Amino acid sequence: MTSSISLQHNQTQPVLAMHQVSKLYGEGSGRVAALDEVSVAIPRGGFTAIMGPSGSGKSTFMNVAAGLDDATSGEVVLAGQPLSKLGDEGRTVLRREQVGFVFQAFNLVPTLSALENILLPFDLAGRKVTAEQRQWIDQLVHTLGLAERIDHRPSELSGGQQQRVAIARALASQPAIIFADEPTGNLDSRSSREVLTLLRTASREYGQTIAMVSHDPVAASYADRILVIADGRIVGDHGPLTPQQISDLLIGFEIGAPA
Amino acid sequence: MNARNLTLGSLRELGTVGLVAGLCGAYAATLIMAASMLGALDDGSGSGADAMLTVVASVFIGIALYVGTVVIINAVDTVISGRLRHIALLRLLGSSARSLRRSVMRSTVTVGAVGAAAGLLAGTALADVVRIVLVSRGTMPKGDYPLVSPQLAVAFVLIAASAMVAGWLGSRVVLGVSPATALAGTTAYRRAPLRKSVLRAVLAVLFLGGGFAVLGLGAMVGESSEMGFFIAFLGSVASATGLLIGARFVIPRVVSMFSRLLGGDPSSRIARRNAVLDPLRTTRSTMGLVIGVTLVTTFASGMRALSDSVSSWDLDPEQAAMARQVLSVASTVLICIIVISSIIAAVGFVSTMSLTVLQRHREIGLLRALGFTRSQVRTMITKESVALSASAVLFGIALGLVYGTLGAQSLVGVMTTGLVWGLPLPALIVIALAGLVLVLVSSRRPARRAVAVTPVEALRIEA
Repeated sequence: MTSSISLQHNQTQPVLAMHQVSKLYGEGSGRVAALDEVSVAIPRGGFTAIMGPSGSGKSTFMNVAAGLDDATSGEVVLAGQPLSKLGDEGRTVLRREQVGFVFQAFNLVPTLSALENILLPFDLAGRKVTAEQRQWIDQLVHTLGLAERIDHRPSELSGGQQQRVAIARALASQPAIIFADEPTGNLDSRSSREVLTLLRTASREYGQTIAMVSHDPVAASYADRILVIADGRIVGDHGPLTPQQISDLLIGFEIGAPA
Repeated sequence: MNARNLTLGSLRELGTVGLVAGLCGAYAATLIMAASMLGALDDGSGSGADAMLTVVASVFIGIALYVGTVVIINAVDTVISGRLRHIALLRLLGSSARSLRRSVMRSTVTVGAVGAAAGLLAGTALADVVRIVLVSRGTMPKGDYPLVSPQLAVAFVLIAASAMVAGWLGSRVVLGVSPATALAGTTAYRRAPLRKSVLRAVLAVLFLGGGFAVLGLGAMVGESSEMGFFIAFLGSVASATGLLIGARFVIPRVVSMFSRLLGGDPSSRIARRNAVLDPLRTTRSTMGLVIGVTLVTTFASGMRALSDSVSSWDLDPEQAAMARQVLSVASTVLICIIVISSIIAAVGFVSTMSLTVLQRHREIGLLRALGFTRSQVRTMITKESVALSASAVLFGIALGLVYGTLGAQSLVGVMTTGLVWGLPLPALIVIALAGLVLVLVSSRRPARRAVAVTPVEALRIEA
């Protein structure tokens, strides 16, 4: 709790800072660097897309940045806390309090209703939902068109509805950062558009920091910053681009990459 | 690679089938051999005790076999439910649901037969060794004892057949798998809703209500007539049948009621929901325990009530001591014979717990990502085990106390004033301790495995 208060006093500090972070898999000659000395900072309030071809290391980037996986070397500072100094318990609590997640699939706990899923981060932290937060959650549920399905179990919701519940959960506790891993990967194009618009709105209107991993140029075009990863390195750092520009950029990397 | 490996997977998953068949086999062989030896002892007098013993042994073996079948059905169902995508892929590639179910049945019957043979062999050898020792010590008279019994072959066929039927019934879930599932991105696990059988519900209510009414009547008649025990016995059989038929309606409600006591924090809530997520599985994984605990408690409670009644009679001290001695020996022997159902049920429970956790790999990874600490995950698994086993044990004890007390009342009510409740405290303490051990054993490994789940690996899309 104290960390989040001190953070609010320090608005200039980035939410996520990575210094020379590497993540290596395997041993000896079979050793592969999924992340190769990556340094990057994500400031408060932006919507960043992390792009790259399959196997480029973008998912590893998210896992390491969110404290789901250990870096082999280097330092990740998430919401003001250096992850290497935290044990499993400390990182779990940090995720619970400062990080929201939206995954490609299997976002919701099957035995909990939509509302219970949304409230899970509060329950886990043992926090009471204040009147103000309750109002925010009601507003989210209403905006996301979930009001009528709120007591349903995930298996009774469509893929798009499940994804929207996951987004509501991530936004509900107003975490320092939301990590979204291919959030539209399983959705039809209409649901995709809805979800992406929602993320952009959350970032623009509520100042929510969002980092979204995607390989889809259309999805990335909703972001206001685009990081391109290839072979475990950040090879591009751009402002907002059109889907066409992003597509060209990616094709350029794929063709240009040494065989 | 044959179809069996594809559907049911590793030997470990089939291990429960073999173990349960083996336990049934060993138990059946021990009872059959004991009965045939006692029969051989009795041959001179020709009192027909031989046939009587065979009937009693068959009833006990039948109960064990029933519990064993339920356990195998559940094990098969749990394994297959965890592999729905895999099975959908096989269906996509051209396997028919029937052929998949047949392959499951073939593997359970094979493993069941091997287990049964091993168990029967071990049980027979044990009985023969014990007999030789007893004869050499002079505890049992020398005589012309059979080394094996033709009934062993019958037991073998019955156990193998039960494993086959269990494989068929347990693989029913295959029918609901559409090949398209293999292609769709996974969403939440969804199980076909329980088919609501009106006939089953009506039969259950009739047998339960009627059975307990007849049991009560027997207890009342027992106050004045010796017919009471016979009436009470019919009532017990009918109400027990009702419980078996209606178990899927009754047991999930009992579990859901008891598990409210766990608490309201997220790990308790999820544990509670998971315990009753699938009513049929909840029923199957706890039913054996309920049966086992009920039987043990019934005998312990009945014997206790008899013994207390005897104390209230006007007997001289020597007679009273003698009667209590006989009752105590009879009670110990009966409980030892009947406890096997509890053991088989416990084996099944441990295996189901560990398989359901394997199946919830992703869910656990998600919970870890969202902020469940390791100890919260461990608590969640332990509480699920507590919810299921404590409900089964408490329900079984309650039923057993009723059956035991009313049974004793119907038998000796004529000679005793009022209703004597048989509260066998030592037996209840042992049952409670055994329940505690079961919780620890059944949740330790799954909890350790659950704690080892990393979000990154569990949430990978290809997983």
